[in-house]
Amino acid sequence: MISWTLYKREMKGSVKLLLLLAAVMTMYISVIISMYDPELMAILDGFVEAMPALMAAVGMRAGATSLIGFMVSYLYGFILLIFPMVFSILRGNGLIAKYVDKGSMVTLVAAPVKRRTIVMTQMFVLISGIVLLLLYTTGLELLIAQSSFPGELVVPELLKLNAALLCLHLFIGSICFLASCVFSDTKYSVAFGAGIPAFMYVLEMLSNAGGKAGKMKYCTFFTLFDATGIVAGENRAMLGSLLLLFGAILFFLVGIRTFCKKDLHI
Amino acid sequence: MSVIRIRNLTRDYGSGKGIFNISFQAEKGEVFGFLGPNGAGKTTTIRHLMGFIKPKAGSCQISGMDCWKDQEKIQKYVGYIPGEISFFDHMNGREFLKFVADYRKLGKDNRMEEMLDRFELDPGSKIKKMSKGMKQKLGIVAAFMHDPDILILDEPTSGLDPLMQNRFTELIAEEKKKGKTILLSSHIFDEVERTCDRIGIIRSGKLVAVDSVDALRKRHMRTYTVTLESPEQARAFAEDFEGVCDGTTVHVAAKQSLENIFLHYYGGENDQLDII
Repeated sequence: MISWTLYKREMKGSVKLLLLLAAVMTMYISVIISMYDPELMAILDGFVEAMPALMAAVGMRAGATSLIGFMVSYLYGFILLIFPMVFSILRGNGLIAKYVDKGSMVTLVAAPVKRRTIVMTQMFVLISGIVLLLLYTTGLELLIAQSSFPGELVVPELLKLNAALLCLHLFIGSICFLASCVFSDTKYSVAFGAGIPAFMYVLEMLSNAGGKAGKMKYCTFFTLFDATGIVAGENRAMLGSLLLLFGAILFFLVGIRTFCKKDLHI
Repeated sequence: MSVIRIRNLTRDYGSGKGIFNISFQAEKGEVFGFLGPNGAGKTTTIRHLMGFIKPKAGSCQISGMDCWKDQEKIQKYVGYIPGEISFFDHMNGREFLKFVADYRKLGKDNRMEEMLDRFELDPGSKIKKMSKGMKQKLGIVAAFMHDPDILILDEPTSGLDPLMQNRFTELIAEEKKKGKTILLSSHIFDEVERTCDRIGIIRSGKLVAVDSVDALRKRHMRTYTVTLESPEQARAFAEDFEGVCDGTTVHVAAKQSLENIFLHYYGGENDQLDII
């Protein structure tokens, strides 16, 4: 089903990027969680009052009273959306389209290995990276929250929240992967694989800013990830995450099929 | 049964580009030379054989299996040197060969070391830093190390120095002796002349001639009868020009090199091409 030799090699290729992203995320997550302090909350709420549009654009809203609410406001609107997305964009393109574009895909297809095996291996490399990144995030959040504010964080809520986040990132990963499978030219693979998620995120920022742009939320898949709703246990929010998951499965399957059928001019 | 068999293979890329109605086969133990200028369709044909491209019309078979559908079964027995070598740059040569061996699930018992020795390649350096010739050698080692029965070689000696080209020619001769079937595309006439049994000449996507090297030569041989003043002169003339002396007349044959034959098929305008 998958080639372990290839999997190991590609995971090695992901390590540097994963470490880099994990380091940056560690810094942000630890700084932000340790900033949780009712007094400081007042200051941040002050910022929100002073420049509501700007703060809302990066997903920060006032009135986060609990620790998880605080985390939703200050982590799940920007940092935890952007960094794993960067991973999907870079690796998604690198796993298939780059090899086809450069011609090194020859080594992989000119061997007694099915194309399905190759493309599924690459898909699992991408998924593994996303999962590792989110597992690390979850562990780190738990560690920092429990050591700084023992008992403040409701663990099941965090797990639910990060499961929903995983659905979102699998969906983003599937877009990058599909673009990588469809286009044999890195140029187009990046244009679509990076362009679509980035554009959707810009729409999300605009819709968060409120006002007329609020309607934009119907144009971006980021709306389906409703962090506050997930923590509150709303069915609508759960449904949104499920939709993202189904979308991811669909796009991954289409990507696999496309790669198996396409002509490789390598 | 033919090992490599292409029937009416057509792939039209529009505006005259592509390959049209290509048919040929290579038998077991045969070295088939595939000659043609750049852009004639050699690589496109080879990509079909490798199962990279699905035939739009016609068929490609290797050992009776369909090159597209049974690609991974066929690949077990095929060694391939691509026309344009591109590996994973950040690996060094040895890591790359080790990766290919593992990826192909080869045991320790493979021809890697033998090939490295033969081509005097030190695989320790980064592929990115390698010269064209070194990359080509690496490609040769990777293609031969699993000791395949069928070899599909797309301009395998490009970038090699004359000494290494000779080594490669020797290798082909040895493999042929072992009964391997080899398809070799090349621009180097000398190499094709020395190694190939039969040649297919492709031009603008069409196969214009398929025949043995000797037959092609014979067909393009011109004979002259020269009459000289004395038998002595005739004898000297015959000696100098490898002719047959008969009194004062000498019969000489101008044997054309493969290069000339090749140019004959390519020279001149498209419509003046005289197809045999």
